[in-house]
Amino acid sequence: MDRAQGTRVGNRIIGAQSPVTVGWENIGKVEGGPVKKAFFTWFQPTVLIGLIVFWYYAPNSIATASTAIMIGIGFRLFLLGLEWVNPRHESWKLTWKELVTDLFFVGLGYTVLDTVEMYIGDDAIIEAVHNSFDWDKLQWFTGLPLLLQAFLISFIFDFGQYWMHRGMHNWYPLWLTHAPHHYITQLNINKGAVGNPVELFLIGLGIGGFFDFLPRAALLAGTLGLAVGTYQHINVRFNTPRWWRFVFNTTEHHSVHHSQDFEASRSNYAGTWIIIDRIFGTCVDGEAELLGMEGGRRMTIRETLVYPFTEAWKTLRERFGRPQASAVPAE
Amino acid sequence: MDWRAIDWIWHIRGSVPLPPGQSSHEAFDRLDPLFRVRDTYHDRRGDELTFSKSNQAPQDKMATFDGGTLRIERDGTGAVLRFDLHSRILLFCFLAPLLFLAFAGLNIAIGVLDPPTAAEKAEAKKKQEERMKRIAEQPLHPIDQFLGAPAPEKPKSEEEKAREKAEKKGKSEDVDEDEGEEGPSTTPAYVFAGIFAALYLVGRILEKWLITKRFRQHLWDEEPALDGGAKPA
Repeated sequence: MDRAQGTRVGNRIIGAQSPVTVGWENIGKVEGGPVKKAFFTWFQPTVLIGLIVFWYYAPNSIATASTAIMIGIGFRLFLLGLEWVNPRHESWKLTWKELVTDLFFVGLGYTVLDTVEMYIGDDAIIEAVHNSFDWDKLQWFTGLPLLLQAFLISFIFDFGQYWMHRGMHNWYPLWLTHAPHHYITQLNINKGAVGNPVELFLIGLGIGGFFDFLPRAALLAGTLGLAVGTYQHINVRFNTPRWWRFVFNTTEHHSVHHSQDFEASRSNYAGTWIIIDRIFGTCVDGEAELLGMEGGRRMTIRETLVYPFTEAWKTLRERFGRPQASAVPAE
Repeated sequence: MDWRAIDWIWHIRGSVPLPPGQSSHEAFDRLDPLFRVRDTYHDRRGDELTFSKSNQAPQDKMATFDGGTLRIERDGTGAVLRFDLHSRILLFCFLAPLLFLAFAGLNIAIGVLDPPTAAEKAEAKKKQEERMKRIAEQPLHPIDQFLGAPAPEKPKSEEEKAREKAEKKGKSEDVDEDEGEEGPSTTPAYVFAGIFAALYLVGRILEKWLITKRFRQHLWDEEPALDGGAKPA
């Protein structure tokens, strides 16, 4: 790869401003003994299939949201351990300060944001739409095979998220809410939560509530998010299977999206299904280590919380405010 | 107000002995790479070095600290590097449990000020039961029946629920008469308050240990390649 010129991907030049490795053949593999290599090759598909089988066959008394929450917490703790054992980049190693910052934003999501969403989130909006139009639910959906329901729930949500995310990168008011998330300079398990709460609210909007679905299908769809989507932000090197990285998002794809290179950051918008990016021509297969904005300036927690509002105010003042009197030396 | 009584919350102080014969100049030269990183300003005057940092990248080996003073003191037995570093993230982590307790309080207040009415509760319960009934009435797809996936449970009748409740009471199990708290849940806020209290204790000990170790490595040349660059390799 030529750092100065970048790599041509379709009509675009990727990596002209900051190093980006393009093409799977150029990405490093897991190094070590055969056991380590086998573990980091088979871990992702084994866990995904194992969880799908679990949720498919678990008795109704076990297949509950609380079980899903416990599995989610346990899985993330395990992945934090894997970050320690087999980091993708030493420069992305989780520090105490980063952990505190990440967990603060995770905490906001589980507390304040959750409360706000009760009143103005997608469920509240969908409820209002139902009440206004007396819109009967799409009951046929529950008659579909479980795994097809799970796929559709996951894919439809991700499809909406793809366009919301792409919109954030193309429309300034939405970009202001998303920009703080792009100031992270490394990927770790909880980095997906780091960002302005307005963005986290917007990206969480979905239309799943319009459908009636079997609770088990929702749990299966949630598993796809957990056992695939979680790997967007992770500092672990896997030998991800070819079929997986063709269909699903990976940390490699997402590192390209977070690259300091502007063109690279305008790719790989999907959360779980990278195939959506392939369909719309925004997928770039590769990886990057140097992440962030403004050459890697880290945003403070305070700035992350206020950035959309302060930047919007600055922009409005520049556009509509009275011009400042320029300092002219007295003659 | 005398902050010294409580500034241990966000200050980390310690000392590292210098190798025999090492001058102040040489010691600060050895520590120099730690301060030659992005958005870090430092000033050396004789036996003292002061520094300040902003927007520290996680890759900065001293990212936890926003500023401080390093002083070399000598007595008859030898020289020692004494450091006094301050950290906003330590203070933030110390205060974070209070913030999350405030969020819990906010949710309690919402439950008191804006409680769901009996009619709203009954309607929500009815809707949920209707939904579950509708779902349970529809048979699983033949593929799922063939593969043996459990069918959704039918909602329990009022008599079954009453019987279960009576059984639980008979076994002295906790029975929530109100069936759930009013308003949004406070549990996550309490959990995160606990997490941040634990994180503070860990950080207070870990960060002191790490920075002491790092200074020692630089001063005693225990690390072949002196680190400190803000940029990854």
